Amino acid sequence: MADKVQLLTSIEKKTLIGKRVPKPDSRDKAIGRTRYINDMKLPGMLHGKILHAGVPHARIKRIDVSKARDLPGVHAVLTADDIPEFIFGMARDNRPLKGGKVRCVRDEIAAVAAESEAICDAALALIEVEFEALPAVFDPAEAAKDDAPRIHEGKDDNFNLKYHFGSGDVKAAEATSDVVIDETFNVHYVTHVCMGTSCAIADFDPDGKLTIYSQTQYPYNFKMDLAPALGMHAGDIRVIQPPIGGAFGSKLDVYPYEPVCVLLARATQRPVKLMFSREEEFINAPTRQPVRIHLRAGAKKDGTLTFRDIKCLLNNGAYTSWGPTVPYVMMRTFSSLFRVPDVNIDCQSVYTNNPYAGSFRGYGNVQATYALAIHTDIMAEALGMSFVDLALKNAQVSGEVTPQGAVLNECALAECLTLAADKTDFRAKEKEYAALRDAPGRFKRGIGMAASIHNAGGAKIHKSDGCGTILKLDDYARCTVITGASEIGQGIDAVLSQIISEELGIPMRDITIVNNDSAIAPWDVGVHASRTTFIAGNGAQRAARKARVQILAAASRQSNVPPEALDLREGWVVQEDGGVPVIKIDRILRQMHFSDEPELVMVSDYYEPPSEPEGKDHVGDMSAAYSHAVHVAEVEVDTETGEVKVLKITSAQDVGRIINELGLEAQIEGGIIMGLGYAISEELIIENGQVRNPNFRDYKLITSPEVPELDLHFIESHSSTGPMGAKGIAELPTIVIAPAVANAVHNAIGIRFHNPPMTPEKVARAIWEKNSSRAAAE
Amino acid sequence: MQVKPSGTLDEYLAPVTIEEAARALADGRASVLAGGTDLMLQAANGRTPYRGRLVNIRRIAELRGAAITGGRVRIGALTTVTDILNHAELAKAVPVLRQTADKFASNQIRNMATIGGNICNASPAGDMIIPLLALEAEVELASWDGAKIRTREVALEKFFTGPGRTVMERGELLTAVSFAVPEAGHRVRFAKSGPRPALEISTVSAAFAATCKDGVTTNVRIVLGAVAPTPIRARSAEALMEGAECSGDLAARAAKAAAGEISPIDDVRASAWYRTHLTEVFVRRLIEDVCHG
Ligand SMILES: Cc1cc2nc3c(=O)[nH]c(=O)nc-3n(C[C@H](O)[C@H](O)[C@H](O)COP(=O)(O)OP(=O)(O)OC[C@H]3O[C@@H](n4cnc5c(N)ncnc54)[C@H](O)[C@@H]3O)c2cc1C
Repeated sequence: MADKVQLLTSIEKKTLIGKRVPKPDSRDKAIGRTRYINDMKLPGMLHGKILHAGVPHARIKRIDVSKARDLPGVHAVLTADDIPEFIFGMARDNRPLKGGKVRCVRDEIAAVAAESEAICDAALALIEVEFEALPAVFDPAEAAKDDAPRIHEGKDDNFNLKYHFGSGDVKAAEATSDVVIDETFNVHYVTHVCMGTSCAIADFDPDGKLTIYSQTQYPYNFKMDLAPALGMHAGDIRVIQPPIGGAFGSKLDVYPYEPVCVLLARATQRPVKLMFSREEEFINAPTRQPVRIHLRAGAKKDGTLTFRDIKCLLNNGAYTSWGPTVPYVMMRTFSSLFRVPDVNIDCQSVYTNNPYAGSFRGYGNVQATYALAIHTDIMAEALGMSFVDLALKNAQVSGEVTPQGAVLNECALAECLTLAADKTDFRAKEKEYAALRDAPGRFKRGIGMAASIHNAGGAKIHKSDGCGTILKLDDYARCTVITGASEIGQGIDAVLSQIISEELGIPMRDITIVNNDSAIAPWDVGVHASRTTFIAGNGAQRAARKARVQILAAASRQSNVPPEALDLREGWVVQEDGGVPVIKIDRILRQMHFSDEPELVMVSDYYEPPSEPEGKDHVGDMSAAYSHAVHVAEVEVDTETGEVKVLKITSAQDVGRIINELGLEAQIEGGIIMGLGYAISEELIIENGQVRNPNFRDYKLITSPEVPELDLHFIESHSSTGPMGAKGIAELPTIVIAPAVANAVHNAIGIRFHNPPMTPEKVARAIWEKNSSRAAAE
Repeated sequence: MQVKPSGTLDEYLAPVTIEEAARALADGRASVLAGGTDLMLQAANGRTPYRGRLVNIRRIAELRGAAITGGRVRIGALTTVTDILNHAELAKAVPVLRQTADKFASNQIRNMATIGGNICNASPAGDMIIPLLALEAEVELASWDGAKIRTREVALEKFFTGPGRTVMERGELLTAVSFAVPEAGHRVRFAKSGPRPALEISTVSAAFAATCKDGVTTNVRIVLGAVAPTPIRARSAEALMEGAECSGDLAARAAKAAAGEISPIDDVRASAWYRTHLTEVFVRRLIEDVCHG
């Protein structure tokens, strides 16, 4: 009956795509209802803690844990002597617990499982360790020398990873250049500072199978990487991902605390939770990779770029996580940001006794763009051009292929540059402020621009960059989507629900996303490389379309309207033309289910993006889409205190197509704020291998009152490969902001900063030195 | 064997009168808890282990609040930084206290942090101390002598003996800080290093007080924080300015003199060079602000 009444009306096509949709988890997070992994407790659970070396390079002469073992409440104390020599890590250079010698302050030399964290602390204090200091080396250039102390025994030298890419003839191209600029940049250590500190809970079943509650952002390969650290079969590991307080790349590898936690659980046959204190987090969590970048590049008088010749030296630290692999992405930017035919790049990582880096939002591109966008500004100045005009002169157009084989489909670089310049009156302000540099007055204004390129359609760094999706509809048209794509706070749940809602004509609230258990959800490579909306979004759309075909076929059989003429809207099967209702979706689902030829709507999809892994020559179209962003920073420098106040950021970014405008804004705002910290305040100060500022007092994050006015512009280039035309967007904002600020500071005071962050002291000192040398000259 | 890391607590007391508190502290084996924003951190990191008994003084109502009577301002030890921000009468009589409170920590910390705790913690970077020294404040101390409350007053300038160290004896309670309402025309200003507008431990802080009348500066006080083991008065810079004509390069000369009186250190927060540089910048700016602003 109800259906009949509805038949009189038509149902308009409505869309959620491009709308402002709150993340489904945001309410619980705001009111404190979310139970994060850090809050979890299992029955019978013990707590684990690690004794870190605290010294950068030493032989362990003696380690005595007997007093700790005797402490009541202690269930296990482990050292390297208690476990087989499990080796793990991408360079197979790491162990869960170190025996023999330690190579950096982080080194895990013993671990305790006890009834409480307090007992763990008391037990750690009872462990007696005697070290014999070894000569240590902290600077990669020093560590590269023949007579440098060896970090890893059995190796001829301290060299680790090497990369080379070459295209064309840089020598010949240099000869044709009118201007050659040669600059060296040193980018620093920063850390992710996730609000939820590192945490794992390990639990064995009686069969020896492991369940690990983890913060990982790559649950499937995580099993593969964790297994060798435990001497286990990866198939016996189940990964459950409770809500976490941030990752940003820091959970894209296995770090020693994870196998240590599992080994404690194995030793005690009890669940064990291991969680870092904030101080431990600052010292022991991965950092962003510091790099020394030597950049030599040329241009002709008219601004045509001729060549780039680049050498990067990476401080590998003591072990190898993703940090020293960032040249994969750095090289992409060096060879692809603007049109430059002749390129030579050499990158080298060298072991030192420093802590080591992992992946971190931007994955090398923050470092590369810092150098390249400042270098471009210097080049523009030398040519008497504005940054924007030099960039426009060399901006690629859609369809161009870069020297490393990236095919720039739907390239909106020129649009980004033009829009950012127009919105800020860039050319005029740049001239005006530069002219006022030497005028009297304590405050100086400046404007600066930076641009970058990043993969926006996944990154095929493994054999597969795919994502599995399973989708089912029940008798009430409620939809469950089981996806490999993890939710780590970035908002994929909302985006997938929007896409499925769009395809199936059911409300978002009727869609449940399941993605936190490796025993349930299908494979995915992980949340990284700005890939999840693109890859998992494509997967969800394809799965939804399969379900849609099945439903429309049934509705067509019943109504005799051809399936191509039917559509799904607002819970109804309708005639596409005019929106005339045909049958309710839940009703047709029930009819399909309880018929003579019963069928359920449950489909699956494995989406593999149309990209290819790089060859050994580093050539290959490794992403299914690429995107650009341009930022303009406006700053005010207090020339007396050296404080840089960022007044306004204007951002123009190619986002392909907006899916969730609220999520998009949040990602870009968060990215900008994170990048601002990199630019002006954040630095993990490491001296002689020791972290000097492992606390929020001295590791200075940007706080809310410092957030400048943000003027965000989205350019929709409609990717031919992305879901609904979308591109990945989350890393670019962090990548572009710091050099924009550096260029603005230069515009204000005429000083370049090749070594971020531009802290008040650094800026004040540079101004003072400039004034002193000027006074001396007069 | 009982697990007992050093500095654990055996006893907790929450007195409601000064007398009860003084008695609870009398044997010198107690730690005083006010807002706890220094104490709890220092106990947790082992810098100042608990003394066995924790005396929470927060329920002593008479220790909280500020009043102006007979030309004197008296601020109870438990008055929070938020209380100071919200105290209209105080803000009118001595605007520098609100100015300082506004640069202090975050809202959450301000709600807990007390002025007494800031003084007793005796950090050279304690912000509220700096303007109080410029106001030539005194602190009131109370203790139990076995039969009755004994009180004494100490000039704030004489109170600090080193980082975290004061002339206060074990068992003494700080009850209030007081100072004369500045005479008309006597202006006091505060400056603190950034770049954050809040949640920043001072790398350098400074206060300047003076009366500038008919082009002459009198009653000059220059106070510097975080540049010596205790907050200090820059006496020679003050002498240079006292009775001088506030024109020409006086501000610059006084600032230079003040920068010569400090003994800054190099640490992760700043180099001695930058501390010296900032001291000079702040003092000059404050003088210009007070005398020409
Ligand atoms: C995040 C953060 C930010 C901060 N920012 C600032 C800042 O910007 N500026 C700044 O100056 N400080 C800052 N602090 C430090 C701290 O908040 C202040 O020093 C505060 O005023 C201490 O007051 P409290 O009431 O919390 O003291 P408590 O921690 O309770 O006590 C501090 C010390 O004084 C003793 N004590 C307290 N009251 C009395 C009393 N009446 N008699 C005798 N002894 C007493 C205690 O025993 C203890 O040794 C910050 C602290 C944190 C955690």
